[in-house]
Amino acid sequence: MAQASVLEIPDLTLDGLLATPAGRELLSCIQCGTCAGTCPYGDFMRYTPRRLIGMLREGFIEEVLSTDDLLTCVTCYDCWAKCPRGLRLTDVLLPAVKEQVLLRLPEVPAELQSALANTMRYGNPMGESPRKRAAWVESAGVPVPILRDLGRPVDVLWIVECYTAYYPRGQDNARATARILHALGVDFAILGNEEKCVGECARLVGEKGLFDTLREQNAATYAKYEFGSLLTCDPHAFDALAYVYPALGLSRPVDHTTPFVAARLDALRPLLTKDLGYKITYHDSCVLGRHNHMHDEPRRILDALPGVSLVEMTHNRDNTICCGGGGGGMWLDTFYKAKGYPRLSDRRVEEALATGADVLAVSCPYEVPRFEDSLKVLGGDDRMVVRDVMELVAEALAD
Amino acid sequence: MSADTNGQPRIGVYVCHCGTNIAATVDVEAVAEYAAGLPGVTVSKTYKYMCSDPGQELIKEDILANQLDRVIVAACSPSLHEATFRRATAAGGINPYYFHMVSIRELDSWVHTDIVEATAKAKDLIRAAIHRVRFHKPLERARVNVNPAVMVVGGGIAGIHAALTLANAGKKVYLVEREPSIGGHMAQFDKTFPTLDCAACILTPKMTEVGQHPNITLWTMAEVDKVDGYVGNYQVTVRHKPRFIIEEACVGCMECIEVCVFRRGKTPDEFNLGLNMRKPVYIPFPQAVPQVVVIDQDACIEFRTGRCKKTCVEVCAERNAIDFTQTETFDTVEVGAIVVATGFKTFDPRRTPSYGYGVYPNVYTAMEIERLVNASGPTEGHVTLRDGRTPETVGIVHCVGSRDVNTNEHCSRVCCMYSLKLAHLVKEKTGAEIYNFYIDIRAPGKGMEEFYNRVAEEGVHFIRGKVADVYPEAGNTGRVVLQAEDTLLGRVRKIPVDMVVLATGLEAQADADEVRRTFNITCGGGGFFMERHPKLAPVSTFTDGIFLAGCCQGPKDIPDTVAQAGAAAAEALALVDKGFVEMEPNTAYVVTEECSGCKTCIPLCPYTAISRVDGKAYINPVLCKGCGTCVAACPSGSIRQNLFEDEEIYEEILGVLANA
Ligand SMILES: Cc1cc2nc3c(=O)[nH]c(=O)nc-3n(C[C@H](O)[C@H](O)[C@H](O)COP(=O)(O)OP(=O)(O)OC[C@H]3O[C@@H](n4cnc5c(N)ncnc54)[C@H](O)[C@@H]3O)c2cc1C
Ligand code: SF4
Ligand code: SF4
Ligand code: SF4
Ligand code: SF4
Repeated sequence: MAQASVLEIPDLTLDGLLATPAGRELLSCIQCGTCAGTCPYGDFMRYTPRRLIGMLREGFIEEVLSTDDLLTCVTCYDCWAKCPRGLRLTDVLLPAVKEQVLLRLPEVPAELQSALANTMRYGNPMGESPRKRAAWVESAGVPVPILRDLGRPVDVLWIVECYTAYYPRGQDNARATARILHALGVDFAILGNEEKCVGECARLVGEKGLFDTLREQNAATYAKYEFGSLLTCDPHAFDALAYVYPALGLSRPVDHTTPFVAARLDALRPLLTKDLGYKITYHDSCVLGRHNHMHDEPRRILDALPGVSLVEMTHNRDNTICCGGGGGGMWLDTFYKAKGYPRLSDRRVEEALATGADVLAVSCPYEVPRFEDSLKVLGGDDRMVVRDVMELVAEALAD
Repeated sequence: MSADTNGQPRIGVYVCHCGTNIAATVDVEAVAEYAAGLPGVTVSKTYKYMCSDPGQELIKEDILANQLDRVIVAACSPSLHEATFRRATAAGGINPYYFHMVSIRELDSWVHTDIVEATAKAKDLIRAAIHRVRFHKPLERARVNVNPAVMVVGGGIAGIHAALTLANAGKKVYLVEREPSIGGHMAQFDKTFPTLDCAACILTPKMTEVGQHPNITLWTMAEVDKVDGYVGNYQVTVRHKPRFIIEEACVGCMECIEVCVFRRGKTPDEFNLGLNMRKPVYIPFPQAVPQVVVIDQDACIEFRTGRCKKTCVEVCAERNAIDFTQTETFDTVEVGAIVVATGFKTFDPRRTPSYGYGVYPNVYTAMEIERLVNASGPTEGHVTLRDGRTPETVGIVHCVGSRDVNTNEHCSRVCCMYSLKLAHLVKEKTGAEIYNFYIDIRAPGKGMEEFYNRVAEEGVHFIRGKVADVYPEAGNTGRVVLQAEDTLLGRVRKIPVDMVVLATGLEAQADADEVRRTFNITCGGGGFFMERHPKLAPVSTFTDGIFLAGCCQGPKDIPDTVAQAGAAAAEALALVDKGFVEMEPNTAYVVTEECSGCKTCIPLCPYTAISRVDGKAYINPVLCKGCGTCVAACPSGSIRQNLFEDEEIYEEILGVLANA
């Protein structure tokens, strides 16, 4: 089983990559096609990882770099997980290639362009005001301390991340998480308006420069405070903090809310008193699930909720299928639509509906809007709702 | 100091060119000239190939002509030619242990590029040898008689062939098989690639011959528990699991199976991979050897409740072959050599969940299909799906659990060919469209490529791409979709099929590590047993007298397995037929007067060669392998070692450092 690991290649450019032994391992590809066969957009990609490596090692790479084809990769980690040579496609090769593609692109797709520009300017891809980043706190129902105001070290610094901080359905997740942290008696705080996007999706879509800027700014902010560990509800941020930031200096334990709560289930269980009466199917996210193999943690939490039964979709755990939102996919919907590509979330939601469940549970803030849209399009929104695992836990907490 | 020639030894030094292997990096002439000037050196020469006949002749002649009493050859390495030059030394009429070898190839010319420095190093190494060799003592190789019997462990085609070869040469053979019948995997096949000959037709006669051979003692349901002793004289303890049948009394009529109180079987039939059920009393397959039934303790009512009507016992009547009181028993036998032929296991495809094995009923392993196409299998040779339908489309997935860092890195060598075989057989029996999904077709060997051509001409589809995902077809058709990139067409294919066959790879047996420890052999990549040398000693192990045959050493097909089994039998024969082995004299010995009897050394010896005799340590020279552990450990320094005496080592160090 492929294991997520800290990036050992210091210079993540294509040249830098091939200058390292780990990078040169990429050349051992046996052209088996597993990557293309498993890729959610494999039907549409001209330069699948297989062809990409083939072109790269025979000197035809410029041809690949001068098309927008690689923007079709949604960083689902499926090729990475199944490649029989264990090649680091999703986390190493593809971002380095996408960086070159973006540099050569005559016109970056508008939606992507503005998300990246917003992130640079406002620290979030939506272009929301940085001063409103902690606005959700007022409606949290429990105190959510800001680290700067607190003026003392905390055990847990919670990185809320953009979609959870700004997006209305994301804020539901944030409020739920705050309530759970309170119920657990966790000593935590957030950065409030000082927080900025962690930048993983910018990195994976090929905007390494932007990622580097964000990382430096964030590292400087984190360094101002004393805290024990980092916590986030966004699997992408989890990955960046756990595997990319450390190579560049950050050394704190990092956790995602789902495994964090799963590890504290015994303390939480007596408080979970409300009978939910749901039939739930859980969607393993590409990053938390396939990349980090955290499959049991969410299921253990859901299993502990009163009156809940769990059913599985055809594709689950490491073999999950992608919602289409990762690695910049969130900002390329119009681009894919213009090309006539299907919406990946539709296939996922069809599988979910086929289980007969009434809740589609998720652990990633990107998935909520994507699945809710697909449910509407497929006419399933009267039968099924989408909920973050944290929302379900908070719902089961006694008031 | 040698007492031979007035305290001064007469040393001959020979520096080998090894073609250009050494001479290109070491100035051999300069080295020989330098050595000639060192005290005690009588002759010093170079020669192109010291290991050649003229090279060896040179040593012999010089010993006679110049009364040499010590010989040093600076050449490749002791593991390659120490024995050669010891023989040449002995041919000159002096004790072969007056010879010493210096490695100036492996330790010098091959690992350096600078000629000046490499030459200086060669001089240092030779000077060290000149210092040490004067202290060499004459040593004798002890002879130990060899027990002529051989044990073969594992009764697959490898073990069967090795046992028959040895038995036909007149040797006593003990064949130990852990299952109730011999035959191994081959017994489960219908046809064998590439010639498609019927497996049973070629295997059964050999199995029967094993069962009837006067020189073979066949022990089934048995495993080796313990191996003591050393090459030529192993004491092997074998554990017999109870069969609950007295083998000598059972005539194989199988009436007990007929009348067993179970009207139908309720236990998954192991031989048919659980595709059908068997009764508690059963025979693994019709051609089983021995032709004797077995009772499964876990399934039999008598064992579970003690209240069965025992219709089996009733019908067995005066033959009286059923014995519920049997327990585990042990036998210890003496053998001179052992052939390990414990075979392989197939990869468990549940470890690759995306292939849906165990989730979708019509996803099968290749072994299961081997049983389905077999006329004596659970469906009498009809290839049917679990619901009884005949498949119209079949997908064969190559490389399941092979060539994959997530499972096994090695290529299992036989899966391509057996996949072609199954494609042919399934097509022949069902007329289905067959899709083979492969990465590379590996068809080396006699008749293999021809067989590939034949199957391709039969219209089997070949899609070059590793299957990436398996999932049910929409609309409850019962079919599953195989999704893969057709890399030759550059297109993702999604092919719905009725039946999936997973070509699971070959792995080391689950208990390979325990078996390895029992026989004191080593495991290499993937857990397969390691041969002594991949090219030149492919059936020997690092333990003398223990040989390897078949897939326990690595994946291979039946022709290669049989060839290797023949080779293992020949090596074992060469050992036991000679009647004796000579032991290397570089053993440790205790200077009894100095030994304090502290017993420190006893538990440290990896070969249990040390015991306590009259309050002092005693080292059995036959068991000692000369590893030196005890020599270094003895607190009173009272253990010495031949060829590694203290003065020999100290002088060698002084010699190498003389110019430092
Ligand atoms: C699906 C499939 C199809 C194949 N088809 C072909 C084909 O058509 N043609 C071909 O040439 N090759 C074929 N092969 C390869 C073939 O199976 C092997 O070459 C052959 O079986 C190797 O024989 P073996 O005796 O080394 O091992 P095995 O057949 O595995 O026999 C090993 C024996 O040792 C016994 N044993 C194991 N451990 C112990 C122990 N500790 N103590 C005592 N006994 C033990 C086992 O019970 C078994 O009886 C196929 C392989 C597979 C998986
Ligand atoms: S899965 Fe890996 S080995 Fe196979 S073609 Fe893709 S990159 Fe190459
Ligand atoms: S990461 Fe996912 S989307 Fe990207 S190339 Fe690999 S399989 Fe395709
Ligand atoms: S004792 Fe009973 S159950 Fe056991 S084999 Fe005999 S008849 Fe069958
Ligand atoms: S030298 Fe090694 S093998 Fe010999 S007795 Fe000592 S410890 Fe045992």
